Amino acid sequence: MIAPGGQAVPERPLQRICYVEDDEDIQRIVRMSLERVGRMTVEIVGDPLKALDAMTAFKPDLVMLDWMMPGMDGPTLFREMKRRPETTSLPVVFITAKASPRELEELKAMGALGAISKPFAPKDLPEQLRELWKKYP
Amino acid sequence: MSSLPEPRLETPRQQSAAGIRDRADPRLVLADRVNQLYNQLPVSIAATFVAGAIATVELWGQWLKELVLFWWALVLAFTVAATSLAIAYRRAADKVEEAAEWLRRLGIAAFANGASWGFAGAVFFRSLTDEQQVFLAFLFAGIASIGIPVYAASWPIFALYAAGILAPFAYVLATFGNRLFIEIALLVPVFYAVNVAIAWRLNQVFDSGYRLRHAYGRLTEDYSVLNQRLEKQLVELEEARRQVEASGRKLALFAERAPIAVLELDPQARVLEVNRAAEILFGYAAGELVDGHVKKLVHPEFHAEFDANWAKLISSREPQAGVRIRNPRRDGLDVVCEWTVTPLVNTEGRIVAVIAQGQDITRHLEAERLKKEFTSTLSHELRTPLTSIIGSLQLINSGVMGEVGKDVAELTAIAERNGQRLLDLINDILDIEKIESGKLTMNPEVFGLGELVREALVLNKAFGERFGVRFEANGPIAARPVHADRKRLLQVMTNLLSNATKFSPEGGVVEVTMEERGPSLRVGVHDRGPGIPENFRHRIFGRFAQADSTTARQKSGTGLGLAICKRLVELMQGRIGFEDRAGGGTTFWFELPRHVA
Repeated sequence: MIAPGGQAVPERPLQRICYVEDDEDIQRIVRMSLERVGRMTVEIVGDPLKALDAMTAFKPDLVMLDWMMPGMDGPTLFREMKRRPETTSLPVVFITAKASPRELEELKAMGALGAISKPFAPKDLPEQLRELWKKYP
Repeated sequence: MSSLPEPRLETPRQQSAAGIRDRADPRLVLADRVNQLYNQLPVSIAATFVAGAIATVELWGQWLKELVLFWWALVLAFTVAATSLAIAYRRAADKVEEAAEWLRRLGIAAFANGASWGFAGAVFFRSLTDEQQVFLAFLFAGIASIGIPVYAASWPIFALYAAGILAPFAYVLATFGNRLFIEIALLVPVFYAVNVAIAWRLNQVFDSGYRLRHAYGRLTEDYSVLNQRLEKQLVELEEARRQVEASGRKLALFAERAPIAVLELDPQARVLEVNRAAEILFGYAAGELVDGHVKKLVHPEFHAEFDANWAKLISSREPQAGVRIRNPRRDGLDVVCEWTVTPLVNTEGRIVAVIAQGQDITRHLEAERLKKEFTSTLSHELRTPLTSIIGSLQLINSGVMGEVGKDVAELTAIAERNGQRLLDLINDILDIEKIESGKLTMNPEVFGLGELVREALVLNKAFGERFGVRFEANGPIAARPVHADRKRLLQVMTNLLSNATKFSPEGGVVEVTMEERGPSLRVGVHDRGPGIPENFRHRIFGRFAQADSTTARQKSGTGLGLAICKRLVELMQGRIGFEDRAGGGTTFWFELPRHVA
């Protein structure tokens, strides 16, 4: 799975991640995973209603969305992002504990890059994101 | 329910009198005629004896003594022979079967009787005086005439008898040389013919009488048989009626005491009858529902749907089952019922009533909803904290957070492993739940089975190493195509490999083989473990199946793995099984149909 000798690595490496998640413990674990293991820059947003502004300000390479959140769930936020020109083209990966294959298919059809199921392995998470990032045009 | 006897009714055929006569048994008619002849025989014997005696007295002294005695001997001989015959007949066992024989014997006797008179006439007439000749002529005429009533039951016998008397007499008269006698001789055949004709006519009357008697006898018999049959049929009909009544009562009882609501409706959906359960379920007394439209029990938002379904039911006359309708109760609350609706069609094809049986499934639906909610909770609410627990421990154990003490590392490793175990259990329960509720959707694709087996070996290598177990492919693992769900098949392989690993001795080897078996491909996972205990074999693919709880704890399995494997393989049209391995250990295998493009 590890790309050999830099040949397959895209020109612009995956660096800036914005993660929208309400659970503080998971926020922390993801931050540690991405920063310490993946050496990435991470912006965590706890309130999905503030997420669009945060994304606009942070300008991430990739957005990770939790599925179930109070106030606004991941799929709704994703649709909101699609409506805004500043966020419409951002690649999105869902982190979810529950999602039927059909729902995932629907989101993929709407342009989601992929989905990672909870619980995920923090030591593998950066690698999983980079694999998905490779598919992003 | 026992089958009812089918009533059969027969009516006697219409019969004319002639037709009825034809029904007589000819053998019985003949026997009756013979019987009558023998009954009359004593008259004939007596007449012959008396007339014979008178004639003998009259002839005594007039004629050669020897000839008169011979004549008297003839009369006596006839009397004895005829009497013996009459007695023999009376004693005969079978008068019906041998009637013809008895008739023949009587014919011989009658002819002999007549002939003996004929002999008397022929011999004695010539030499008698005129007065005596007149007397003899009258005697012969009388004797011949007596024969009519005596032998009337068989005119040929009378004809023989009379011929025996009259023929020799006529001959004597004709050859006497006297003109008057010649004229009388010419009259004798006329007299004979008239007598035979009378006998024939009487014979007809007797015959007809006997035939009628037997025919009516038989009719009476027929009628009594018919009567008996009718009586039996009446009993059967009565029994049938009682059975129908009993099953009717039983049905009424079933409906009345049934725990489900039962409504009887007319074809216009008006209520004819309701049972107790319906009253309790909907809160209406029967009187409030009967004669009203059943839509009273259907939520208004379903009225249009109800009308459409009802029209379909009435036109198709087919029963409908599993119809879910929201039914309002009298107290305003709704219950959801599942209805089975059955039209009752009579023999002319008309719907006489519609029986609706409704089961309250409100609680059942609630239970289903709760179960779904529970599954969802299990899925989300347990996974979220586990994400944090396993995630944190993994970050510590992977070393990215820096070095920790040996004891701490050991403890966090235990914590992570057991967190993972808990997660496996949750995943397995969710899988089983999904499979059993039919909600697991397969995403089949065509791929090489060999490739997948090799991938499984790589993915599980680390797990094997933890137990000091090595995986080894034995023989060719060819890339034969199958049409299956790749992810789920990988789950099956992982399960089989992890089972084999857990039960292998440390330093052991788990061999993996792949072979073609007819139209299928078989993958085998062979271990050198302790084997499957006899008493566990039959439930090894059941839920929460573990040989014993000690091993379970030791081997840290959920007991659901093989149950999931079996269901997954079967969902992919395959088979799964196990067998003892030669030299110890167990082989688990699964087979999938080879994909043919």
